[in-house]
Amino acid sequence: MKLKTIALAVSAMMASAGYAAAADCEPLNIGAAISLTGKYATNGVHTQNGYEFAIKKIDEAGGVKIGDKCYNFKITYYDDESKGDRAATLAERLINQDGMQYMLGPYSSGMTKAIAPVTEKYQIPMIEAEGASRSLFNKGYKYLFAVLSTSEQYLASAVTLMAEKAGELGKDVKDIKVAIAVENDPFSLDIRAGVLEDAERAGMQVVIDEKLPRDLSDMSAILTKVKLVKPDLLIVSGHSKGAATAVRQIGEQQIDTPMIALTHCEAADVVGNFGAAANGILCSTQWAETLSYEDPLFGTAANWEQEFKETYPEYKDKTVPYQSAQASAAVYVFKDAFERAGTLDKEKVREAIAQTDMKTFYGDIRFSEAGNNIAKPMVLRQIQDGKYNVVAPSEFASHKVDFPRRLPTN
Amino acid sequence: MAFTESKTGKIGLYGVLLVATIVAPFLFPNYSVQLATLWIFIIVAITWDMTGGQMGYNSLGNIFFYGTGMYAAAVVGIGLVYNVGDYTAAAGGGIYEFTVTQWMTGYLLGSLFAGVFCAITAVILGYLFFGLRGPYFAIGTLGVAIAAGELVSNWDWVGGGQGISLPIYPGDAGVGKNVIYFGFAAVGVVLFIFVKWLYSTRFGAAINAIRDDEEKAEAMGLQTLRYKLTAWAMSAFFVGVAGGMSGFQLGHFEPLETAYQTINLGIFMVVCVLLGGKGTLWGPIIGAVMFQIFKEVTWNYFLGWQWVALGALIVVTVVYFQDGLMGWLMQKKPEWFGIRVEKKDDAAQTAQ
Repeated sequence: MKLKTIALAVSAMMASAGYAAAADCEPLNIGAAISLTGKYATNGVHTQNGYEFAIKKIDEAGGVKIGDKCYNFKITYYDDESKGDRAATLAERLINQDGMQYMLGPYSSGMTKAIAPVTEKYQIPMIEAEGASRSLFNKGYKYLFAVLSTSEQYLASAVTLMAEKAGELGKDVKDIKVAIAVENDPFSLDIRAGVLEDAERAGMQVVIDEKLPRDLSDMSAILTKVKLVKPDLLIVSGHSKGAATAVRQIGEQQIDTPMIALTHCEAADVVGNFGAAANGILCSTQWAETLSYEDPLFGTAANWEQEFKETYPEYKDKTVPYQSAQASAAVYVFKDAFERAGTLDKEKVREAIAQTDMKTFYGDIRFSEAGNNIAKPMVLRQIQDGKYNVVAPSEFASHKVDFPRRLPTN
Repeated sequence: MAFTESKTGKIGLYGVLLVATIVAPFLFPNYSVQLATLWIFIIVAITWDMTGGQMGYNSLGNIFFYGTGMYAAAVVGIGLVYNVGDYTAAAGGGIYEFTVTQWMTGYLLGSLFAGVFCAITAVILGYLFFGLRGPYFAIGTLGVAIAAGELVSNWDWVGGGQGISLPIYPGDAGVGKNVIYFGFAAVGVVLFIFVKWLYSTRFGAAINAIRDDEEKAEAMGLQTLRYKLTAWAMSAFFVGVAGGMSGFQLGHFEPLETAYQTINLGIFMVVCVLLGGKGTLWGPIIGAVMFQIFKEVTWNYFLGWQWVALGALIVVTVVYFQDGLMGWLMQKKPEWFGIRVEKKDDAAQTAQ
């Protein structure tokens, strides 16, 4: 990992060689434990790329200006192996042995829950971009800030959409049947809690409420049940691996539920991997490159996506996952807070982060007392002929939702 | 079983070790987490050896007591102040704050309760499992640990798969670190003194007899089941206390990867004992120290190869050093252990 950090630093320096101003800046160290191996590895890498892309952009724009000095962010990474106790140990290591005063978040709510008590204990400000569970924000943590929307909002609009469309199935909302299959982890359990609340409020019936198996590699038993019970709305949440399994097996087992909503479609690249089987599936997203957000550093959302793809060619033929976008946004918040604070004093920087009120390519960012971003909505996209099109909520929708979902014909 | 023959030498050695234990976190404040982890390894290794090394019952399920201890302590720690179900709910809600006193009470009482709870559980499980011998006992106990992880991960009252976030120490962070370190160190020292005494009693001899030949021990009138249950319960008590404290140290834990971590700590404790030497007083401790150093080095400097290195270490130990470091030393330098070996010349002289 050390080698990789050095390699990244070297490449960053080479990239910024043309910018004399940035080259004179001092390094400003930030620590991050990220899942580079284990079950969250895919998204760990998306997150890391998002961080590094933002750092590159900030370097090119002349670094972080604190007082009359300028700094370049430099992140020290460790691999938490997608294990919570490892993540906590590494956070201790970053703070105590590597002397980190600031942290960027890991990937997933579970890892964030493991690290937050440590950063809180040492009063280290941490801006995280990948931990959405509400259970992170009811512990009274004062040094934890999240740029993303909390998880109960992910699929709330799917339930609303289903309620609106009930008539098209010739049904009353009260007769709508909902099936839920989620990973047994903080993030997905909070998704489930949100969907249960919304479904109950709308008066829908929850007919299947199951947990995905621990390794997320097989949900055929649950889907067999879906074929028998015939729900109208199927909700699946299990990070990238869960999404990949769901789309693959929904295709294999010819599941014809009228509405299917997932999380993490882009991160799992379900279109690239499963093609037509992914058509008609609804995917919740924190951000979409088609939205009309913009800021002075990254430009518009579309501009961020384009430059990100130029920097990381491996995303060329895919939809860039929002995990990378929000990671960039987290680094941007740090830059903004440092510059507003005008000092490296930890407490003053925390104060500045808490008072953040920004418009970014990722959306508006303003933190509640508990540290979560309350200024940015979630959107729902539908995969239509291999494209991710925003279909809800209505004020952001660029396309009409295809309903009921048609079975792909090969 | 001592390093030196003389009594003052022994006392001196223990004195040095005790002083080292006390000053270590002040000399190396940045490493106090690793030092605390070292104590966890020492505790789980000694307790594993109580049944595995001294009694011949190789449990792969001692991690069950570690995880159960974690949950028991957390439930007590939270339950003394708030409603556990509300605190662990997946959906957000109120903010839960703890004072230093509430935290300390939860930490100490909770861990103690965890120990007692685990000891009782061990007696109940023991009735079921001590009919099994050898690999059947090992696999049976492993099954309990795995099943417990799955059960707890579906039990919403304790947070299910999302686990529990315990409050962090509300006072100064430096003090909080030491509270945790000395908690583990105290348990470790008490455990060491306890087993040192225990192995010198009739009870120690009895569990050794069970290891050497259980039928014969039974035939000589030993109530073997009672001894086995007592030994496992004592072992479970200390693992439970350590588990309870670990929960407070980590701040957040979930059932599958952290609490009932069968493939990590559950195996590491056995590796520690094998490294150091089964059935000896110092073996598990030396093994735990060696293992913690090995783990810190490989996990930090050979990342990506750490599990390969661990596998290689296990293979080398099992193939070439079956009795661990202590066993190997005992063979090479028996006089260090107070074993008198007659030299050839002595024997010749006696013959004349």
